[in-house]
Amino acid sequence: MTDWTSPRGSPYAARRRESLRERALDRESPLRRLDWILLLAVGMLCTMGALLVWGATKPHNVALGLDPNGDLKRDLLNIGIGVGLGGVAAIVDYRTIRAYTPVVYLASLVGLIAVLVHGVTVNGSHSWIKIGPGFEVQPSEFAKIALIVLAAMLLGERRDGAIAPDDRDVWMTLAASSVPILLILKQPDVGTVMVVAFVVFGVIALSGVSSKWIIGLLVVAAGVAVVIVHLHLLKDYQLKRFTAFTNPHADTQGSGYNTHQARIAIGSGGLFGKGLFHGTQTNGQFVPEQNTDFVFTVAGEELGLAGSGLLVVLVGVVLWRGLSIAARAEDAFGTLLSVGVVCWFGFQAFENIGMTVGIMPVTGLPLPFVSYGGSSIFASMLAVGLLQNVHMRSRT
Amino acid sequence: MSDRSRLRLIVLRVLVVSLLATLLGRLWYLQVLAGPQYARAASDNQVRDIIAAAPRGQIVDDAGRPWARNQTALVVSVDRVALTRQSDGGVAVLHRLARVLSVPYTDLHDRIQLCGPTAPKGCWNGSPYEPIPVTQLKNDLQSTRLALQILERKEDFPGISAELAAVRHYGTPMGALASQVLGNLAPITADELKKLPKSEQDARRRDLVGRQGLEQQYDRYLRGKAGVTQVAVDHLGAVTGTLSEAPPQPGDSLVTSLDARVQASLESSLAGAVHNARSLGVSQYGGPADFAAGVVMDAKTGHIVAMGSYPTYDPSLWDGGRIDTKAYDKLRHTPGNPLLDKAYASAYSPGSTFKLISTSGLLADGQATLGGTYDCTPSYSIGNSSFRNFEGEALGAISLHTTIVKSCDTVYYQLAYHDWIRDNNLVNAHKKPIEGVQHMARSYGLGVPSGVDLPNATVGHIADRRNQLLRWKQTKKDYCLGAKRRKPGDILKAYDQEYCTDGWRFNPGLQLIEDIGQGSVLVSPLQLAVAYSALANGGTVFEPRVGKAILSPAGKVIKRLKAPVRGHLPISQTDLDYIRNAMYQVPVTGTAATAFQGFPQGKVRVGGKTGSAELGLNRSYTSAWFASFAGLASDPTPRFVTVIMVDKGGVGGVVAAPAVRKVWDTVFGVEHAKAAYPAGKPPATLPHVGAGAAAAATPGSGSTAATPKVSGSPAALVDPTLPPALAVRFSGRQFWTGLL
Repeated sequence: MTDWTSPRGSPYAARRRESLRERALDRESPLRRLDWILLLAVGMLCTMGALLVWGATKPHNVALGLDPNGDLKRDLLNIGIGVGLGGVAAIVDYRTIRAYTPVVYLASLVGLIAVLVHGVTVNGSHSWIKIGPGFEVQPSEFAKIALIVLAAMLLGERRDGAIAPDDRDVWMTLAASSVPILLILKQPDVGTVMVVAFVVFGVIALSGVSSKWIIGLLVVAAGVAVVIVHLHLLKDYQLKRFTAFTNPHADTQGSGYNTHQARIAIGSGGLFGKGLFHGTQTNGQFVPEQNTDFVFTVAGEELGLAGSGLLVVLVGVVLWRGLSIAARAEDAFGTLLSVGVVCWFGFQAFENIGMTVGIMPVTGLPLPFVSYGGSSIFASMLAVGLLQNVHMRSRT
Repeated sequence: MSDRSRLRLIVLRVLVVSLLATLLGRLWYLQVLAGPQYARAASDNQVRDIIAAAPRGQIVDDAGRPWARNQTALVVSVDRVALTRQSDGGVAVLHRLARVLSVPYTDLHDRIQLCGPTAPKGCWNGSPYEPIPVTQLKNDLQSTRLALQILERKEDFPGISAELAAVRHYGTPMGALASQVLGNLAPITADELKKLPKSEQDARRRDLVGRQGLEQQYDRYLRGKAGVTQVAVDHLGAVTGTLSEAPPQPGDSLVTSLDARVQASLESSLAGAVHNARSLGVSQYGGPADFAAGVVMDAKTGHIVAMGSYPTYDPSLWDGGRIDTKAYDKLRHTPGNPLLDKAYASAYSPGSTFKLISTSGLLADGQATLGGTYDCTPSYSIGNSSFRNFEGEALGAISLHTTIVKSCDTVYYQLAYHDWIRDNNLVNAHKKPIEGVQHMARSYGLGVPSGVDLPNATVGHIADRRNQLLRWKQTKKDYCLGAKRRKPGDILKAYDQEYCTDGWRFNPGLQLIEDIGQGSVLVSPLQLAVAYSALANGGTVFEPRVGKAILSPAGKVIKRLKAPVRGHLPISQTDLDYIRNAMYQVPVTGTAATAFQGFPQGKVRVGGKTGSAELGLNRSYTSAWFASFAGLASDPTPRFVTVIMVDKGGVGGVVAAPAVRKVWDTVFGVEHAKAAYPAGKPPATLPHVGAGAAAAATPGSGSTAATPKVSGSPAALVDPTLPPALAVRFSGRQFWTGLL
């Protein structure tokens, strides 16, 4: 790096010599260093998401005499805000963010406590805070990011010479993450708890800790599951809904209704679907929560295997790029940050799509970028911003 | 980055790829491999069939008087699915409904239970997803208020609806019931549905099907075709659009040859005969009279003019196509079994009325001759068995004519014994027995299926050597068992023993009692009427018909139903005339003379034959029969035949003959009654059967209010006489959506 090429070396000269366009295309420009494939995939996911939300809501809005495109507009607005948030998350050096980790963590705890005090109940979960009319925030979405950053910080800071975090770091991580997990469990939002637990597990595993930790954590998880079932800690209906996917023909009018109708919607789409706005299952509202948790069924029904398969592939691209970014990150913090985001997106997407196709239990988790919902889109976009952040500052 | 982390990152990549591959594989399965199946499920999901029952065709008499027609009624239905989704399973709503309708809660509850092994009586065997009709209201102001109450307080009655429907209504023109001939309706059973072609099953799920009688026999004409409207619905079942519609096609009407006036007369005569027999008692030649049955037949055309049995029941019990369980149980336990029409569905020994058939057989066979004289002794003995003359009267040497008029049993015994000996010699010589009387009986239509257009008609029985052997083979096991197990001293023990070893033998005794119409000669009154019609009309044996014509809903003749000719009697016209002449003497000087004393034979010539068939082992009772023909004196041949029998009713001339006289009076109007047929014959033309009897029979005729958006079409069934408010309610979309 020589002085004359550096904009910082001679600010005035640089401004004169390079136009905005030239600067943008500069080898060292952050734009040049963006992961464009990741961006493209996320962009396509958001676009398809907007279309699917439109498809899921327009016929119903028309029937109710509401603005047919109302939900589409709100979704696009959410995406717009999300892009802005993601941009901010990408530009601020992630090492700066690391410095503010405790603040982020505490803020998320405040949010989670606030939701328990002032929250709104939607679908049995006490997960939303009402901020003004028609605008609700789901703090648990943001808590996911806070936890990823926290875990990455705790496990990424190595004592001198160590190549892997020691046991104390892992214990600290577990202790720190248990607080938000317990708070989310209190809502109760089992789906998010599962996501967060998986993310923390993923970050710990990838931090290079000894295999004993991985095996130990898996054993504990299995033990917890057994205890929950045997001590009847879950309510009967929760357990039923959770296990409905194991027997697709059980009680198609009751606990198996959602998954049954979702499978019909997806299966009836065939190869190329019935066309946007032409899904009978969608238009008849046979599948519940179709613009949010079950948005994938709209893709399955109206766009067919072509559309729903594309969604899966796009999710795959995002995850693949995320893992590449993790592999090339400048430092352990960057790697673990990226791994945390990949674990989050990966688990949540697999669980969400899996439940609509009947291979995973039903939980209330949105499909990242695609499902309607401000908090989910904002958090996802922030996470993508973090990935880009790590990418831009990574070794080439 | 440590190597360990690098390795784990690769593991994570593999995990990601495999999970996504799993999703894609699953999508391939759902959308491509199982795609068609899910596509079907999706279309089933959103398409609902609304079945609009077709108004059933009318059943009218020969003058167009309706026995069965349709009336518009408000039918209250319960949506089972909606009820089960309520927090208490709909108990509160049903209780409320029971209060409003003033019916017991348990009734409503039972009605909406799906039929199954443990289901209560009155359960529903239709689709669980269809509204179940629980009660029907009359089409009057009070009922309309009730319906409005249910419809307007929707929030109090979720899942309950009231709709207008054409329901079966049975009438009693001129007081005639004709219940057993009409039959009734009942909901289609699951088994019957399964037998239908797949394409028809859905539309016919709620069908009422004819059970017994004309309703069953002519069901395919009467039932019409249900309308099916396919509507698209959303997940709540709310209608979002109409996909296709086929309006219901009303059923065709059936014109019968029954005449309400004669039918009424026959029914009252049967009831009168039973009461008469009971009041006379056995000592006065009456009896306990369990039941009576009778048939009036047009001997020239083979059509039935009246038919029925006593006790009977009011056909309106089956109004709406459904009978109350309690009422049905009561009917089943009524002595005399009113549900069975004894006139055609079961057979009895006809006693001496059969002698004309034996006479025909003996004459045709050469066993008797018109010029011969026969010895009427008080009794007749074969070996150590003695067969007595029923009335015990010894008339000495008499002609065949007198034998018939006076009904002398012993003459027949002698003739039968000679007949038997001849046949027995043939059998011994390994030749086929002639069995002339049995052969003649079958020619008359006895002991063979009558071919009447009614279900479950009896075949009856005429014993001969062959079927005696067959029967013995089939039944000897029971008798042999009885012979073994019965206590010593039981008279039945000896009887069983005899039958067990020798039951196959066609003893001379069997031929003797057969020739006088007893023992194993069993005929239905209808079969006897067919036989007497052949006697009356010169030898033509008909397959009798109740149906006369099928008319389209518009009144056009679709099909005329003529009684087919089964055959002609193998007997000479001279013999036939001789027998008929003898029969004309019976009401004048013979066994029915007392009953027909003073009857204006100059205007209407009546002939006939009495019968008193002995019943039971100890012959304590007799069944009274009178089979008779009559016609205007100006007619060369008698036009009508009437047969009346009173079971355990006593003596034919005393109990049955007076009942027949009343029927003749109604037919010709020669004594007290107004003539049903002043011209002495039934109408040759078909009556006009208009749509007037049922406004509901013509779709669209009643739609006064706004055209409904969803067709099916309730408006078609809207009665113009309803208050406008209700009519609007019924034709509005709101109403239908509420139903679904």
